[in-house]
This record gives sequence, C-alpha cells and structure tokens, in this order.
Amino acid sequence: MTTRPLAQEAVASRRRWRISLSERHLPFILLLPSVIIMLLVIGFPMLYSLYLSLTSYTLTTAQNYDFIGLKNYATLLFDDPLFWASFGRTVLFITLAVNIEFLLGLGIAHLIARAIRGQSVARTLIMMPMMFAPILVGFQFKWFFNAQVGLVNNILYAITGEPHFIPWLIDKPLGFISILIAEIWMSTPFMVVILEAGILSLPQEPFEAAEVDGASGWQKFRHLTLPMLLPFIYTAMAIRSLDIARAYDVVQIMTGGGPANRTELIWTYVNRLAFTGQQFAVGAAMSYITVIFSWIFTWWFFYNVIKSRWAGGQS
Amino acid sequence: MSEKKKKVSRREFLKLSGIAGGAAALAACAPAAPQAPAEQPAEQPAEQPTQAPAVVGKPFAGKTLRMHAISGANYDELYKLIPAWEEKTGAKVEFVFKGNGFETDKRLVQDFAAGTVDYDVCWDHSSFFSQYVKAGGLEPLDNYFSEEELADFIPSLLDATRKDGHLWVIPRHFDISCLHYRTDIGIEKPPETWDEFKQMAIDITKNNPGIFGTQFAGKEEALTGRWYEIQTAEGGELFNEKWEPIFNGPAAVKAATMLAELYQAGAMPPDMTNYLWEDVATQWVNGIIGMYTEWYGWYSFFQDPNSSKVAGKFDLARQPKGDAGIHSGWAGHHGFSITKASKEKEMAADLIKWLTSPDGNRLEAKLGFLVSRQSVWDEIIAEAEGSDDPLAKKRLELALLQAREDFKTPPLIAEWIPMSNIVYPILQQIMLGDKEPQAGLDEAVEKTYELMKEAGYYG
Repeated sequence: MTTRPLAQEAVASRRRWRISLSERHLPFILLLPSVIIMLLVIGFPMLYSLYLSLTSYTLTTAQNYDFIGLKNYATLLFDDPLFWASFGRTVLFITLAVNIEFLLGLGIAHLIARAIRGQSVARTLIMMPMMFAPILVGFQFKWFFNAQVGLVNNILYAITGEPHFIPWLIDKPLGFISILIAEIWMSTPFMVVILEAGILSLPQEPFEAAEVDGASGWQKFRHLTLPMLLPFIYTAMAIRSLDIARAYDVVQIMTGGGPANRTELIWTYVNRLAFTGQQFAVGAAMSYITVIFSWIFTWWFFYNVIKSRWAGGQS
Repeated sequence: MSEKKKKVSRREFLKLSGIAGGAAALAACAPAAPQAPAEQPAEQPAEQPTQAPAVVGKPFAGKTLRMHAISGANYDELYKLIPAWEEKTGAKVEFVFKGNGFETDKRLVQDFAAGTVDYDVCWDHSSFFSQYVKAGGLEPLDNYFSEEELADFIPSLLDATRKDGHLWVIPRHFDISCLHYRTDIGIEKPPETWDEFKQMAIDITKNNPGIFGTQFAGKEEALTGRWYEIQTAEGGELFNEKWEPIFNGPAAVKAATMLAELYQAGAMPPDMTNYLWEDVATQWVNGIIGMYTEWYGWYSFFQDPNSSKVAGKFDLARQPKGDAGIHSGWAGHHGFSITKASKEKEMAADLIKWLTSPDGNRLEAKLGFLVSRQSVWDEIIAEAEGSDDPLAKKRLELALLQAREDFKTPPLIAEWIPMSNIVYPILQQIMLGDKEPQAGLDEAVEKTYELMKEAGYYG
C-alpha cells in the first residue's frame, strides 16, 4: 500500500533534483570551459609574469630563477630616473592627447550633427584614420616628419622657397609633438563617433525651451549640451585614456622611444628593457607597476565621474 | 542531504573555479620553473630516433635532420645544395624555422632558454653565439671537425667563435666595415685616420651644398658597434681582464666626442639618430652623403644604376686608424652550429661540412658574399682580374686584407646586446648635446658594471 507512493515520491524527488541541478548549475557548467580557458590564457601568463618579476631571470641567464623578492620593483621605483621620466612623459602624453582629441572630436561631431546634407559621407571620411593599422600610421608619420624627404619639410620648402631640414623626430619638444600628432590623427575619429552619437540622442525639448527664452548658442552649449553630454564624454575619455596608456606601436615605429630617450613612453621602455635588453624580470616588474597605476587611475577617474554626475544631479 | 546543501551559489562556484584555475595555473607553472631540458637529451646515449637500415654508401639513410635557418635576401640560395647532400647521404633535411637574422636569433634565445630545442643544426652568428653557449644550447665542434678540415678557413673567422677553449660555429660568410667615399665630389684620397675623417667630413659638408660629409647608423647595436670600432682604433678597450667595463677612458671619450662634434657641426644628417642600416644605405644611394663606413654586403645595390645615384662614382678604402695605429674593423660572420640537444650530431656536422665546402663558398661568392675559405678567395680574386667592374678586384683584395688583419668582433659575451642597450641611448645623448662625453660614458660604465655583476661575472 505504501510502497508505490514512496517510490513515486522518490522518482519525483530525483526528477526535481535533476531539474534543480540542470536549472541551477547548467549556466555554470556551460561557463566552466570559458572560465578555465580564461584562467589559462590570461590568469596563467599574469601569474607567471608576476612570479618572474620577483626573480632575477634574464634571457642570458635563462636557468637563473633566483627569488629576489621586491628588488626589481625597488630598483625601478627608487633607483631608475628613466622609469619615472618615461612614466611622467606617458602621463603628459595621455593628458594632452585625450584633451586635444576631445576638443577636436566635440567640434567635428557638432559640425557633422548640424550638417543638413552629406552627414554619412562626412562620417565615413572622418572615420578613415581608424581603418589604418597603428603600425602603418607610424610609418606614414615617420615619412611625413623625415628631415630630408619628409612631407612637412617639403611643404615648408614649397611655402618659403628655402630648404628646411627640421629634425622633427629628433628635436626635444618636436619629437614628442610629432608622436602626439600621429596619435591624435589616428584616434580623434573615435571621439567624434561617440560624441556625435551622444549629440544625436539628446532630447530637443530643452533646446526649444531655451530658444524661446532667448538663450544664445554658447549658453545652450554650456548649460544644456555639455551637461547632458557628460556621460558620453566621460566614457569616451576613459576608454581613450586607457587606450593611450598602452601606446606603443606608433611610437615604436616613429622613434622607438628615442633618440636619447626623448620620446620614451612606458611601454617602449618596457620593450627596450625586457626584450632588447633581455631583462625579462625587470620588464615584468615594470609592467606590473604600470598596470597597478592604471588601476588606480581608472578607479580615481570613475570615482570622479560618479561624483561629478551626482553633484550635477544635486545642483 | 538537504536541498540547501546541494545548491552551489555563484560565490561558491567562483571560489571553486578560482581554486581549480589557480591549481591548474600552478600545475602549469611547475614544469616551467628552473629547468635545463635542452641539455638533458644530449647527455643520454644517442637514441637514433630516425634509425633505418643503412644503405651501403649512404651513411644516414632514412634519417631526418632538422634545421633552424636564416632566410631572406640571398641566404636561401645555399640551401640549393641540400638535395645533393640528401642524395649522397640518404638523409632528409627538414626546416623547422626560417626567418631573418634577428627573428632567428630571438627564436634561438627563447628556445635555448625554454629548453624546447628539437633541431640539430642552427644558423649562428659571431655576434650572437655567446648567448647560446651561455644558455648551454650548443655543442662544441672540436670533435667533429679535424684540423685538416679547418685549415682552409680564414683563421680570424674561426678565432671569432672560439670561446672557453672550444670552437662553436663554422663560418659560412662574413662582413666587415669598409670606408666608402665619393670620387665625384673631389675626394682624391680617403682619410687615413679618424682625425682626418672628421675634418674631411666637415669640409665636404662646407664645400658641397646638399651633401652631408658623413653619417653613421644612429641607434641600437648599430651605433654602439660603430663607436666601439672607433674607440678600439683609438686604443680603447671595453673591458679589462676581469670583465669590468673600462670604456670611459680617453680613447672612448675621444670616439664619442668625434661623433658629437660631427653631428653638432651639421656634417651628418639631422635625423641620423633615427637611422638603422637600411636608412644609411638609402641616404648613400640618394647621393647626399660624401663618405661613410658601410658593410661590403651592400655593394651590388650601390653599383646598380637603377637603384643608386652613386653607382660608379665611389671607391672603397680600409677603415681609418686611430691614435693607437689600429685600423677599425667591426666584423661578424654567419655560420652554422650543432645544438646540444641534437641526437644526430655526426649527421649535423656532415651537413655543415657540405654547406661550408668550397662548392658552397663558390655558390655564395657568386652572390656577392665574402666567403670563409682562403682557397675560394684565391679563385675569385683571380677571376675578378677580367671583370668590367673596376672595383671588383680591389674590393675583394681589400676585404681579404681586412679579414686577415682588422677583423674585430664585439666582445664574445652574451651581455653584448644588453650592454649595447645601455650604451646607445647615452651615445645619442652625447651626440645631441644632452650629456658631456665623459659624464655620459661614466654613467654607461656604471650601469654596465651592474649588468655584468647581475650576470655573475664578479663572483
């Protein structure tokens, strides 16, 4: 009498358990291969390079994995002025590039958004620099700024009638300015795309009301466009900041960080130290220091974004 | 077991995944830790993995030889001799890698460091082999090549790759720096000393608008090497017998000062510090350089009127001397080595003998390479007598003289490139006026001392 209901209950229980297992765990099981692959592909190299950064490993003493603790970090932080010079130059590079790209991007985005005809053509043209591989941009600007046969000096010759051999890539401020121009040329379209999308998505009612109230163009921009565009601006600037913090290929092709370390950014220095100089462990330590600074910067940046938006909401 | 216990929360799942991943990563780390597997197979008795019944007269029948080789330009032409060797020996050659010199070096360094060598013969270079020796990657060649077999090779080439009492590389061809000067702008006699060179470069610039007196490749090992050969001619040494860097003495300072003075006088192109080998060669064929030191290997390019504005308008000379009465002569040679991990070392040696044979040398000489055997030099110099090229015979005789008397490699240490990585930015700073020569070289010496100390040279 009682066996059948019990058996049915057991079967039902097992079925529930199976359903429960599949419903609750299936997503995790499906994700598991990706998690394992991510751990192996990203986690393992990171752990391994962290381990390397704590050793005296170099490519010329490949069997020497002596654990030396934080010595490489201490050397870089307290005994390597070149590291700090490269770091400072990278921060300056990011600051200038992001802000100039933002100003140019905002201006161009406005022009395109206000254009009555030819918007799509303008948008396509403006995006062209994004279609080039950074390495090609590097070669292109290396030729532009060549002292003997470069486009820039030839234009100056055509204008002035006098030969100019300005060493754009060698001179102290000009070398830095040259790589900055290449970076800005390559990446301003990204700002344009994001900011134009923001401008086109703004509601029209506040602008119409401001128009009725007799607000000037600048007032509308200052008090309506800019505040409403802030989320787009912050997002674009955050992405670009992190992107430029990784700047390597354009600079490596144009100047290699030289001459005399005049255009050395943090990643060209890592490359020179770790690969050319074969100081793998020191290079790994430098990479970790840079990544940690990037994390701090990202946190600080988003903290300020949220703070300013909150403050903007309160006002 | 309650329902609650069966559930796995996301947090637990991530924790478990993290532990599993961490364990996997640690497990993966374990074999990558201190290791020298590259050396292990060599210690074992030869396993003859490709063993097959030997055919009479074909000593390596059925076996496969794996090769890690340089490629590009004319380097591959020599490999056309391989089918004949395969026919003679019954073996097969399999290329596991082909790339340019720097790619090949990078791969070799990494393979030797990681212990992943699975080839028998590798390309080698007199500037790079010390790193491979230090990593324990190469087999000494003394037992595979008799004195008689080595007798025909130019002795300085063999000496350039003797280290720790062993021979490590069999030379295939070499190159050495040589003074190239324009005959169409009134240079009647090449400079004999570096002092004369400096003054002539300044005068050429002054008297020939649009032409720079001279140039050097201005970065990386190219710049360090040029400065090294000048300071050697001035009587300087890079290291003392204890491998302590001493290149901040008067000779080294004089060499660095000369580079700075030439640059600051405008006798060299303003963006020279951004030039490498191809760039200086391009400047030369564009006809805007009066004289400079260059490798012989570019000769056919320079004499081709389709690519060069200076074809037929230049001459060659021995490198200038310094105060020590020594001619400069930065040199290097390409060759072949046997890996320590090879299980077929006899077969590897046999292939190297074949590729560096007089036939191999003759084939490469026709391509314009400066080859490694004296007997072949005698042949090609005799043949050059009847050449239409007025420089053909002079070029060969000069190169042979330089190979015999001026052949100087960088120091045979694995730290040469890392050291160069310290020195060249400082040389650039000196040239651009950012640092005084003495202060700059003092700093370079200090940093190099630290490098050598870290590498274990001082106990």
